[in-house]
Parts: sequence; structure tokens; C-alpha cells
Amino acid sequence: MKRILPNSLKYNGLFMKMFLFTVLIIITVSAVTTWAAIRMSEQFFIERFSITNSKVMNQIKENLESFNYSIVLASNNLLQNGTIKRTLTAEESDFDRMGSLFHLGQQMNRIKSNLDAYEVGIIVTGMNGVSYATDRAYWPITDDELKKSPITKNTLLYPKRLLFQYDYRQDITGETGDERFIVASRALSVPISGFIYGSMYFSIQEKDFKKFYSNYTSNGNDVFILNREGVIVSSSQSKRIGQNADDLLSYTDELEKTPNRTINGDFMGKEHIIMMDYLPSYDMYFFNVIDKQTALGDLIDKREIIRISAIIVLIALCVVFFASRRLTNSLSSLSRQISSASQYNFHQYVDVKGTEETKQIGQAFNSMLDELHEYVEQLMQSQKEKRNAELAALQQQINPHFLYNTLASIRFMVQQGGKEEADETIRALISLLQNTLGTVSETITVQEEIENLKNYVFINQKRYGSRIRVNYFISPDCIGCSIPKLILQPFIENAFFHGFNHKTDGYINVLVWKEGDSLICEVEDNGDGMEVSDDTKLPATKRKKHLFSGIGVRNVHERIQLIYGESYGVQITSQPGEGTKVRVTMPAR
Amino acid sequence: MKKYLALFLVSILLLAACSSGSKTEEASGDSKDTNEITVWAWDPNFNIKALEMAKEAYKAEDSELNVKIVENAQADIIQKLNTSLSSGTTKGLPNIVLIEDYRAQSFLQAYPDMFYELTDSFKAEEFADYKIAPTSLDGKNYGLPFDTGVTGLYFRTDYLEEAGYKVEDLKDMDWNKYIEIGKKVKETTGKHMLTLDPKDLGLIRTMIQSAGSWYLKEDGVTPNLAGNEALKEAFETYKAILDADLVKPVSDWSQFVAGFNSGDVATVPSGNWITASIKAEESQSGKWTVAAQPRLSNNPDSVNASNLGGSSWYVLNVPGKEKAAEFLGKTFGSNVDFYQELNTEIGAIGTYKPAAEGEAYKAADEFFGGQKVITDFAAMTEKIPQVNYGLHTYAIEDILAVEMQNYLKGKDIDKVLEDAQAQAEAQIK
Repeated sequence: MKRILPNSLKYNGLFMKMFLFTVLIIITVSAVTTWAAIRMSEQFFIERFSITNSKVMNQIKENLESFNYSIVLASNNLLQNGTIKRTLTAEESDFDRMGSLFHLGQQMNRIKSNLDAYEVGIIVTGMNGVSYATDRAYWPITDDELKKSPITKNTLLYPKRLLFQYDYRQDITGETGDERFIVASRALSVPISGFIYGSMYFSIQEKDFKKFYSNYTSNGNDVFILNREGVIVSSSQSKRIGQNADDLLSYTDELEKTPNRTINGDFMGKEHIIMMDYLPSYDMYFFNVIDKQTALGDLIDKREIIRISAIIVLIALCVVFFASRRLTNSLSSLSRQISSASQYNFHQYVDVKGTEETKQIGQAFNSMLDELHEYVEQLMQSQKEKRNAELAALQQQINPHFLYNTLASIRFMVQQGGKEEADETIRALISLLQNTLGTVSETITVQEEIENLKNYVFINQKRYGSRIRVNYFISPDCIGCSIPKLILQPFIENAFFHGFNHKTDGYINVLVWKEGDSLICEVEDNGDGMEVSDDTKLPATKRKKHLFSGIGVRNVHERIQLIYGESYGVQITSQPGEGTKVRVTMPAR
Repeated sequence: MKKYLALFLVSILLLAACSSGSKTEEASGDSKDTNEITVWAWDPNFNIKALEMAKEAYKAEDSELNVKIVENAQADIIQKLNTSLSSGTTKGLPNIVLIEDYRAQSFLQAYPDMFYELTDSFKAEEFADYKIAPTSLDGKNYGLPFDTGVTGLYFRTDYLEEAGYKVEDLKDMDWNKYIEIGKKVKETTGKHMLTLDPKDLGLIRTMIQSAGSWYLKEDGVTPNLAGNEALKEAFETYKAILDADLVKPVSDWSQFVAGFNSGDVATVPSGNWITASIKAEESQSGKWTVAAQPRLSNNPDSVNASNLGGSSWYVLNVPGKEKAAEFLGKTFGSNVDFYQELNTEIGAIGTYKPAAEGEAYKAADEFFGGQKVITDFAAMTEKIPQVNYGLHTYAIEDILAVEMQNYLKGKDIDKVLEDAQAQAEAQIK
């Protein structure tokens, strides 16, 4: 796997890039869309909330106002009631008081019937110590406690006003829990003189007062009613009643200034939409506070939205994965085939498959390979022919100097009277010319080549004397083998004219034998020797007049390689002062 | 390639698994579970506490049953019962409801089909006789009697002795004697004898029941005011007490309680359920005694025992009624130990006769100077004359309260009762 991965990565590079890019785009787009959708719906809900809640607030306000109005009416009735005034002011005997209390009770019941819609208790107290309560259960305060209560003090301080105040009674029995009350109080006074003869109290339990708005509240949507001191008088959050809510109170100034009395603010450490209204008849602040997180969290199921978009993204990714995989697969296999083709061989054609585009590329590549092959073959052919023609031309060129020199030697022999000698030399020349002239590609047997060599050597010895001996060691099994014409002659020639410049005499050995499939011909001399350069090329012959034909030692190697291939050729080893050895390797045929 | 595919599949599966979790929370339906019964009662200190103890006691019998106790004001319970029962729907009604004995008949007669018969759930003869009439209809028991309203005369012994009387003097006395003692007490201590609320004729009610009489005749519907000797004497006694200036007027319950807790009055003639309120003022421990209620002086039928208030349990004819009846029968209907506990914990005296044999009932109470208060009350309970409270107790009392004021102002007693009779007949029939 480790070994495969880099390779597959290499050929899947396009796919990986394309896929990662698409993944990135899909994820980005869906994340942005999801975020925008959630934002927009939140915005929408907040707006809705503000609109509906301001209507709700008006509704609650109306409820509170009508409650207040009922109490105002009842308090006016109490104020104007003569029986009540008489009972609360008169000093009378217990017997008479029994009667007075009975009638007071009847009057109170009549007045209370105005408030039957609400769970309200009425208490009146008089200067003469008489007090009457319609139902103490609505406010379990004793007469003593009431007398000392700050509620009474405030009432007497502002005798003309109906005051709404908060009261807290610890439950003595510990059974029903602590109770909170909202008490509306007003002094009982004579209209013109302002003489105060008592006070009245309308008490409602906070849990009943709550009913004015509790239908409109929900989790995260709370109502707080604060008095001027910032004490929470009533709230849908029962735990907070009676506590100070200075944080809310601090918003009042800001809220007064905003047009629809709605702001966003921090409350209890969370982000809330805060709406406020002032209740003039109660002298209280009415807050509607919406916890954004809870309220909107219910409406917008973020997890659900994110889940859905995640699923969509995943499906899209799967589709993209397989689709792009299909598209790029043919392309990557094509590129894999092409790359190996260019590295190793031109014969491997690519598979034509996949999409239309890759098919066309494949076809184009294949036909390109075809043309390339054709071209290369043509090129090789023409090169070969050209070389052949060159070599043939060289072969045909019997050096005129050679002929001239040879003929001059023969004339000399004739003049000297060596008739026999001249005849032999002419015969050798004829034989040499006969064998040499002809086509380049024409091969001759080793025996014939050796014959040519002997003739050539004979002529040379006739001309220059026999101080250089030539010996032939031919393996008998090689006699019939075919070799190109004049393949060894240049080396003999070379040895003759360059090998013995310093030494006066020596020998040249010509050896031919078989080694496996190869035919080895060696021309070895014990002449001057030379420095062999790396390229194993023989030094160019300057004196052309010595040469027999246009073919020099340099061409032999080329010729052999041209005819038999690159595994064959000429190898030269030489040591200065010790001689030169030329080894020609050819296939034995 | 396969690796990637597997990864994708796994992640999809994971997501699906994550999301499926959110839908498992199904709202539990509001279908009426027969393993739950609902009870309505008022007064958290007394009735609700008693119910909670019953619930605990019943766990030994049936731990599966869930008893849901709902506290409502008595007025609310009456209103809700009337609204629902008159419309014929039982939706939203409880299985068990507490009804005051004075009102019981009006419900039983108006909606006889809506109550579940309890005749077989408890033994009626084991309960105080006077409780059976208000709780049954046509010889069938519908209500299981709960607390007794047996009355007693709570008396401050220190004031009594200051006025020169002994506890023995209070034994089986009549109202004339009471007035006589009262005058002496007022003279020597300056204290009023009792508090009275002019709206509440409870005292009148106890007086006439001690003579076996009631506002209505035996049939429970015909007003029995004019010519009712017991009622007439009760009115006269009431006026005599007022005339003797023994009364401190009060206008409500808290003033009533404050009256005796502050030591302003020497006696409290009331139901035994006031014991807890009297004992609330611990500084007065040892200064109280409980005597029998005075009887009417001129009425030979009158005994030194009466009743004020008291209520009983009723099972409504709604699903779960069998379980509700069994719950009542096994607790309030037969459990002696439970009654001992009730008595110890909240001072309640039941009307279950076998319970009087228990230890708690025989205990001496130091607050009352070592008097065996419960035993005494239990003995008085058995003497309470049985009356049919009928349908219209409170309607008639409203009329009588007005007429009482007229009487106190000097109107002739016979004329007062005749006028009341006429008004009652006009209103009720």
C-alpha cells in the first residue's frame, strides 16, 4: 500500500485536486447558506416576536388597567359608603357593634361583588380600631401587623392616591410556602375636609396577579413587574419575586427613548430582547423579557438544519466523488500509459476508452506513434543507404598513387630484368584489383580475403623490400566464413606504413579464429606502437598516396557496425615500443 | 478508493444515529391512567395533611397507586363540582372529593348518578351515627365520614377560678348557667366571655342540633323555622348572651383566633377542630379545660353535645372509582392505626368508633391540665343527636342572619321566625 500510494497519488493528482476543490466549494457554500438561513430566520422571528409581543403587552396592559379600574370603582364605593364610615368612626357598645359589623359585612360583600372576577380580598380599618376583612386568606396579615406595616404608613402619606405595594408574608405554619402579595391601598377620608378616618386595602396574591399575563409567557419569554425601587413585584419567574432587578431598572431610561420601547440587552448574563412599558396607574414598570437563546432555540432547530445540510453535503460529495472519479479515471490511466511509453518504448499503444475527449487524445497519440515509427524507419533506411553509398564510393576508389607506385615498381623490375618478378607482381595486382572492384555489400570468404592480403603484401614487399614479414594463422574452420571485402587490408596497410617508422624490421601476424558465434580477426605487429586514445580511433592517415583504396582504418569500424550491428566492431590495443594489436569482431557466417 | 467509500458510509450512518435520538422523547399522553387517582380538598393544615398521611399509609396496601392530592379552596371545589356535574361532564373532576356535611345532601340529591356508592366499602355502623344521615341517600352510603365537628366549651380555668367557680361547675350545665358564670367572670376579670361574628350563626346551629332540631324538617327540604321551639330558644339565648354584654364582636376568623390567643375571652364554644388554634398559644398551657357544650335550658331534648362543621369523603362516578373507593375503605374506612397517627400528628378526631380504643385517644393532654380531651370528645361524639342537614343550610342561614339583626333591634321573636319562614319558603320552593 505504501508503495502504491505515492504512485496512485501521482496519477490521481488531477482527481485529488478536483475533488478537494469541489469538496471545499460545496462545504463553503452549504455552510454559508446554512448560516445565512439561520441568521435570516432568527432575524425574522425576532421581528415577529417584537410585533406580537408588543400586541401582547398591550393586551396585558389592558388586563391590568381593567383590574385597576375595578379596584378604583370599589374604592370609590367604599369611600362614599355611609355605613362603613359610621362603623369605622363610631364609638359604640359591643351590642351595637355586633349590629354595625353585620351591616358593614353586608356592605362589604356588596362592594366586593364588583371584584368577584378577581381573587381579591378587601380589608378596611377604622380609626376606632374596628377592622373588617372579606377574606383573610387573600392576605393573612393580623390587625396589629397591618397597623405597623409600611403599607399603612405610605397610604397615610399619600391619602388621595391608590397605591400599589408589594408585601411578603412568611407562612407561619410552613405548609403553603411563603406568599407574596400585591396590595392596593387608599386612605378613607372625608372628601372636603380631608379628615382621614381609616384606610382600605385590596390584596391579591401574586400567583393570582400573575394570571393577568401568565397565559402570554412561556419558557424564555418572561414578564417582570417592577416598582420604582426596582423590586420585582410580580414575575413569571417566581424565584425572582421580591428581589431587586437593578439591571432591568437601568434600562428604563434607554427604553423610554427608543421608539417602540424594545432593545436588545444583557439580563442575567444572557442576551435578551427587552420590552418595557410604564404602568401609570400602578406606578410600576412592566417588562417583557425574551431570552433569545431559549425562545429562538425552540423555534429554530439548529441541529436539525445543520444535520440536513450535512447530509446534503455528504450526498453531494459522494456524487461528486464518483462522477469526477469516472471522468478523471480514463484521463489518469491515459497519462500513466503515455508516460511509460515515452520512457521505454514507442511500440506500446494506449487503450482507447473513457470519455470522448480522452478517446480522441488516445487515438491522436496512437496515430502519432504510428507516424513516428514510420518516420524513424525511413530515416534509418536513408541513413543506411547514404552510408552504404559513401562506403561503396570509397571502396571503388583505388588510389591512383597506389597504382602509379605499383606500376612504377613493375617497370623498374622489368628494366632490371626481373621478368619473373614483374610477372608475379602484375599477377598479384590483377588479382587484387579483380577482388576489390565490385559491390560494397558483397562479401568474400576469409580465404579470398587472405589471398587479397597476400597479394597486397606481396606488392608492398616488392616495392619496399621484405624487412617486414607477414605471417598468417588461419583457423581452418574459418576459411569458409564470409566477411566484407577489404576488412583487414587497411590494418595491414596501417601497420606497414606507420608501425615501423622507427624499427627497421619486424613482423605482422594475421590471426583468424572462431569464438562461439563470433569470428575474430586479429592484426598484430611488433612495431613502434602508440598511445591509444580513449575513443580507440586510429590516427588519420595523412599520406594518401600510400593508401590502396578510399577505405581507411577509420571506416572499418563503421562498416562492421553498419552491417552487423553495434555488438561488433574494432578494438585496438597498443603499447609504445611494443606494437599494436587490432582486433576485429564479426559474426561467423 | 474502497476505504474512502467506507468512511463516507460510516459517517452517514453515524449522523443518522445521532439524529434519531432526538425524537424518542414523546410527550406522555394525558390518558387517564387507572393507577392514578386525584383527590380534591381544602385546608392544607388539616385535610390535605390527613390525605398525605393516608397516601403514605396506603402504600403498604398498594404501592402502585399514585394518589394525586390537589388543594382547592372550599368555595372553588363547590363551584367546580356544580359547574361540571350540572353540565353532565366528568372531565377534569377528581376521583375523590371532600364535601362539608352541611352541603352534602344538596350534591347527593342534585346529582345522584354522579356519586359512587360506598355502602360495601366500609361498615357504616362503625361510624358516629350523626354522620351517616348527611352522607347517605335512600339508605345507600355515598360518603365516608371523616372528621367530627363535635363541639366543646373551651374554658380558661384561671378566669373561672378568679370568678369563684370550679371545673366541676361546668359539667352538664345549660346556657342560663353559662350566662350566669359569664356575668361573674366579666365582673371579676373584666374579660368578655366569648367572641361572636354577627354574620356567622354557628352558635345557633350547635344549639338547635343539641336538641335534635335543624333549619329544615326531616325531609331535608321544608324550612322548619316558624314554631321551631329549639330555634326560638336558641335565638333568645343568643340575645341574652349579647344583652349580658358577654360578647366581644369580631368580623372574621383571624380576629376570632386573636380573641382567645390574646386572652381577651374566657371561653370558646366551638368544634373540636379549634384545639390546634388554641394550643398555638403555648404560653396559655395548663390554663384551658374542655367542658361539654351547654344545653338549651328549656328544651328537654337538648343534650350536652352538638356538632359544628365536619366533612366526609365522596367518590365520583368517574374511571378509577373502584380504586378510589378501595383507597378510602382501607385508610379512613378501617385503619385504626392510621386514626391514631392522624390524632397525634394533626389532632384530628375521626368519627370511626373503633379508633377511640387506640392509645392516642386515651392520652392525657398537659395543655388542658392533664385532661383526656380526645376521650372526652369521643364520648361526646356518640351523644350528638342525628339531624338531616338537608339541602339549604346556608341559604336559610343567610336569611336568619338578617332576621337576627332585626330581632336584636327589638322585633318580636315569633314574627322574626315567621318572616324568616316566609322568605325561606319563597326562596327555596
